[in-house]
Amino acid sequence: MSSIPILRIRGHLLVPVQPDLSDEVVNRLQNDVLEAIAGERDRSGGLLLDISGLQIVDTYVARVLADTASMAALMGRRTVLCGMRPEIAATLVQMGYLLEGVCTALDVDDGLDLLGLPR
Amino acid sequence: MLPDTTPVTPDAHTLALRLRFFRIDPGVLARLAALRPFAERTMSDIIDRFYEHLLSQPETRDYLDDPALVERLKRKQAAYFLGMFRGEIDLAYVQGRMKVGAVHAKLAVATQWYVGACTHYLQLIHEHLHRERASDEERRASFEAIERIMHFDVSLAIDAYIARHHESRLRHQEAIRELSTPVIRVHDRVLLLPLVGTIDSARAQRVMESVLVRIGEEHARVLLLDIAGVTVVDTQVADYLLKTTSAVRLLGAKTILTGISPQVARTVVELGVDLTSLYTRNTLSDGLDLALSLLDKQIRTIDQERV
Repeated sequence: MSSIPILRIRGHLLVPVQPDLSDEVVNRLQNDVLEAIAGERDRSGGLLLDISGLQIVDTYVARVLADTASMAALMGRRTVLCGMRPEIAATLVQMGYLLEGVCTALDVDDGLDLLGLPR
Repeated sequence: MLPDTTPVTPDAHTLALRLRFFRIDPGVLARLAALRPFAERTMSDIIDRFYEHLLSQPETRDYLDDPALVERLKRKQAAYFLGMFRGEIDLAYVQGRMKVGAVHAKLAVATQWYVGACTHYLQLIHEHLHRERASDEERRASFEAIERIMHFDVSLAIDAYIARHHESRLRHQEAIRELSTPVIRVHDRVLLLPLVGTIDSARAQRVMESVLVRIGEEHARVLLLDIAGVTVVDTQVADYLLKTTSAVRLLGAKTILTGISPQVARTVVELGVDLTSLYTRNTLSDGLDLALSLLDKQIRTIDQERV
């Protein structure tokens, strides 16, 4: 089973989520991300979930990703969901998934801006 | 009103059906082929008189103001005329006839003049047939055969007219679609969507899709959604505005709703629609100021002394 890498950039965690997320993979992703946050000594950095590679997001994956962001926020990490494709945004809103409370950015660059990382 | 179906070029199957409906069978085609010598003999007189008629009518004269053009058309007409007496109708024939119709449609020759001219053509042929040495029975059968193929040709020409009309209507629809969702880049990373007119769910969906795609392309951070030109803001429209705003937020951009008149403000509050989660402004220029401040920018007067 493939797993998703979690990159550390100057205290921030970057998770490049790849296409074709199965339920299993997204569950494991949530687990890995939370474990990684718990294992970090420096807690000041944020968490970036880059989903620009995702072509299709079903309701389950959307909820797990949104939940992961909320959980990371509970653990004191500022979390940004970056790079959602227009068609996915339109679909989620049509289905009533507004992901309120999750911070969003156009891409990783903008996400880093939101976390206050100087350019 | 023209039929609301997409015209298709006939294939072998539809051609066979059409020929059957016009009762153009091998017997009729053989008769037409046998009439070829008659056609060759009478053609120049028929065509000359046909154009005399067209030139005598104000409706058709305007299309034929150039004598050189008339000469060229007469030569083409001869080929067209002899085409009826080939004794064969295949797809190439159909395409040729449709092309003739398309050319007339392109020149904006109204169908009434086209069909009327064909009727005159038939009369001229009829006159000549009467002078032929043949039995009444023979003459009647010959005329019927010519009549059928001419009407067959006219039906193809009308199809070409309809196809052309359909095409231009598709172009108009496309233009209207584009006009209904004009997303304008007003500043670096700031887009403006001025909504005008009535918003139904089909249009709302289209607007949302195109604005989301543009935000991605332009890398926009702020969308100014100006509803000053929207005729009615009801719960449905408000719901649509909220949905668009939510989708824009999922992309990582912010929406500012502008152009909220006192009337709209009253309606929205009276309907109990909650727009407090949105940035809202009375005028577009206030909205632009807010957009710039969200980007840590501002418009200010240049200090006179430094100029």
